[in-house]
Amino acid sequence: MKKTAILVLIAACGGKYQAPPPVASIALPEGSQLKPYHPDQPGLARPQVLAQAAGRVYVTLSNQRDTSTFPVNAGPGFLATFVPSTGAPSITLIDLGGSDGLQCQNPGFVRASADGRLYAPCSGNFSGSDVSRAIVEVDPLANAVIRRAAIPDGRVPNGVAVTPTRIWTGDSFTTTVFSIDRTTLAADPTAPVPLDCPKNVFSYVADVMTIGGDVYALCASDISGVLYRLAPDTGAVKGTVAVGPNPTELTGLDDGRIAVVSAGDNTVWLVTTTGSTLSAQKVLTLANVAALQDIRAFGRILFTVASATNTAQRIDLDAQGGPKVVGEANFGQSSGPYNILPLDDMQAIVSNRGTNTIAAANWVTPK
Amino acid sequence: MPPPSPAFGRHLALLILVLAAASRAQDPGETIEVEGERRSGSAQAPASATTVIDSAQFGGEVRSVAEMLLSAPGVSVHALGGPGQPATLSLRGASADQSLVLLDGIPLQGPGGGAVDLSTLPATLLERMVVSRGVLGAQFGAGALGGAVELLPRSARSTWSGGAEVAGGSFGTGRFALDAAMPLGNGSGLFAVQGDRTSGDFEYARQLTPEISDSPYYGFKRDNADAKRGSALMRVSQELGDDLGADFLFQGSTGLRGLPGPASAPTPRSRELDQGALGGLRVRGTSGGASWSLRASGRVDRVELRGVLPFGDCQDGTPDCPRQDQRSSAGRGEGEIVLPFGEANAVKMLLAGGGEWVSGAGIGPHRRGVLAAAFSGDIALPAGVAVHPALRFDGVGGQTGLSPALTAQWRPAPDHPLSLRAGWGRSFRAPTFSELYLEVGGIASNPDLRPERAWSVDAGADWRVAGLTLSATAFWSSYRQLILYQLFPPARVKPFNVGESRIAGVELQAVVPLPSRFLATVSYSFLDAVNRADGHKLAYRPPHRVFARLARRGDRLEGYGEVSFTSALPRNAFDTAFVGRQVLLNAGAGVRAVGPLWIDVEAKNLLDDRTYEDLFQYPLPGLSIAVIARARL
Repeated sequence: MKKTAILVLIAACGGKYQAPPPVASIALPEGSQLKPYHPDQPGLARPQVLAQAAGRVYVTLSNQRDTSTFPVNAGPGFLATFVPSTGAPSITLIDLGGSDGLQCQNPGFVRASADGRLYAPCSGNFSGSDVSRAIVEVDPLANAVIRRAAIPDGRVPNGVAVTPTRIWTGDSFTTTVFSIDRTTLAADPTAPVPLDCPKNVFSYVADVMTIGGDVYALCASDISGVLYRLAPDTGAVKGTVAVGPNPTELTGLDDGRIAVVSAGDNTVWLVTTTGSTLSAQKVLTLANVAALQDIRAFGRILFTVASATNTAQRIDLDAQGGPKVVGEANFGQSSGPYNILPLDDMQAIVSNRGTNTIAAANWVTPK
Repeated sequence: MPPPSPAFGRHLALLILVLAAASRAQDPGETIEVEGERRSGSAQAPASATTVIDSAQFGGEVRSVAEMLLSAPGVSVHALGGPGQPATLSLRGASADQSLVLLDGIPLQGPGGGAVDLSTLPATLLERMVVSRGVLGAQFGAGALGGAVELLPRSARSTWSGGAEVAGGSFGTGRFALDAAMPLGNGSGLFAVQGDRTSGDFEYARQLTPEISDSPYYGFKRDNADAKRGSALMRVSQELGDDLGADFLFQGSTGLRGLPGPASAPTPRSRELDQGALGGLRVRGTSGGASWSLRASGRVDRVELRGVLPFGDCQDGTPDCPRQDQRSSAGRGEGEIVLPFGEANAVKMLLAGGGEWVSGAGIGPHRRGVLAAAFSGDIALPAGVAVHPALRFDGVGGQTGLSPALTAQWRPAPDHPLSLRAGWGRSFRAPTFSELYLEVGGIASNPDLRPERAWSVDAGADWRVAGLTLSATAFWSSYRQLILYQLFPPARVKPFNVGESRIAGVELQAVVPLPSRFLATVSYSFLDAVNRADGHKLAYRPPHRVFARLARRGDRLEGYGEVSFTSALPRNAFDTAFVGRQVLLNAGAGVRAVGPLWIDVEAKNLLDDRTYEDLFQYPLPGLSIAVIARARL
């Protein structure tokens, strides 16, 4: 009776809105686990991109420390890997920094090659001159770094696309893409391939990716976006098509089309390749989110994440009336979801850069 | 939109009852002074589109400067949350840096030389505000590209008078204000203080999954949105001879507040301390029909950020979380002479010079000189036409420019209620110290910035008779070399002269005295703000804004009800994302309890809509109620 009375009282005094539901997430390692250069200045995980290989999920950890000016690299870059499961997974760390801890800092991408290796470009401190810029090759079966390619001075790698003979990456400084010989791991002596997209102020290469045997590169600017199709061996431009402004990511669909998400105007585009012609169509505007960071596909379902609204979206390309958001998840205040990895068409894993966690987006209706 | 709270009906019924009682209880034959649109314009900008706001019309209400300014057409406020949180002014769609704010003629600036934070200005210490719209650099100085707001503090008086106000209400919000005017020496003096506080811990609601249109709203409580502020004002006027006088003004303010951050990424550990003072001494005189004045003024401001990081908050006092201190100051001397000629003509000349200084975290020490020379005329022509040419030279640091303007007015007869006016102006805005030099976190500096430039034309008509004012203005303005912060890879923003825009619009206002001492005020603003580079709408400019208010002032009972509507506005540069429309209902009622003591109750956001957000996802409070006691002798 007393308990009931208390519950009634709580209900009567409560607000008109329910409290937000708790969000389950798994904390990533931080501090001393991330081998800080200075014990009293440890870093936070700051997870970024997710990839899947050998039945495991991999996520890059920037390992950075916030300061009053700009985040600084507090220690070497890491990959955290785990087997996705319903329970709390056991997380294994892969140190990408080598014996001196400087061989890789701030890994911003990780992507699996067709033959099962992982490649992670490390951006260093974005000066373009530090020694910690690299692309590291990881064996997911051994969870260890196998080889390392240094980056020529004046370039900062962004994105990674692996072909049978080359590793392509974008340059944050010069809006070009360049390749590294996959056998020797030396940068190709040929001149970088310039990308061009109309700009007011800035342009950069948002990502490069191997899709259907070709290399695709996203040129992003404050007012435009252009998807480039490049020959995998030479980098010769095979086609271009305009997409929305400031595109951040792309992904390949099973039917050969490419989906692109543009953060500038919150739009999703589908690009079709017909012979040497690329055509693009805006299929969806996500008007209520901000800072769209990633897009992935599983079958006919697209997944996006928006870091400024802490949300992920599930988009059905075959919905009645055209592509539509049919599910959305929120990962909590300040979570800043950055990347998403679908496990199937109803479940995905998200890396939360703000709260240094990983979380699951699950749209399976409980039975 | 979610349904209003059940409490809304009860509050509304109570207020209607009180208002109805107020309208019945007035004694027949009583007269009251209609407050509001008594003064028609700005002496600085004759024949311009101007609105005068008397702060007395908001007596018995807890109003901020920003809230009072929103009653004028052409005004919008860019705020970051509820009471006590930062708020900046936008006139005719111009940015805050392009909208000048002057206190008794002294230009106000925020730390870093940028826009002043309206929340730091004490509302009860002001007598009225004059909002002049248009490119008015020739009249007010470089920087007035959207217009200028003249804040006129309470006047010193030669008789004893004074007032007091105490208010308290929802979310721990309270205010006290005291002022006293008196004869002093060979003149008069005024002393006034105001204190404000709020806990800011209001509840708000958000959709966690906004792309699903019917997804539920969830309730949150605002944290770290408390604020405290104390302000003081002193004015002294002394007559030094038959044709000689001196005026002294001092205003100081200090505040401490939490910086709660946006709802999506709160910053519970970030705080801000600010301190500012301003003083001016003017000697004035007349000689042979000419009037002249010499004035020295100065301003110092300091802001200290605690627990603030570029991408979040931190624990104040830890090694990676230093306090960020920034100071700015300005000093200026100016001389002005007004020479009448003919029956109704005059020319005014002004010469001013001084300096501006800034120092602090992320910006370093910098200084620059400022110089101005201005000429303006009031020339009466035949057939009821008056023209007001103006030309001003401004030098700010190494950047100089001329600001010409011409306004004209026509009346069928001197006392005719109708007047038609038209104006043209061209001016520039020098980059602020922050834009030139601030290098902190995600912000990069750009010392190579050039001034922004703008010109505008407007035309309008006014009908003023016996308290009735009807006003309509249409304008067209063009901005070039706009300084916009743009992404600067890999992860910073940097200002560039890249913007080019066109802003056109319409401003309507009606002030209508009604029977039983009611006064109705309606203002409407239409803005069409377009990026000329791509034709997209400029972000954060509301296309439509309506303010309507019905108030009654008596000597026993008073009350008001008002509605403020802001249409949906774009929140990106590509017309694909919007901040939703907002409708706010406020109402209040008061009674003169005994002698000069008034007791008022007011309610803001009567619909108790807790889903509203200011720009950048800063939540606004739902229904709030305040009780105000005030007396004036």
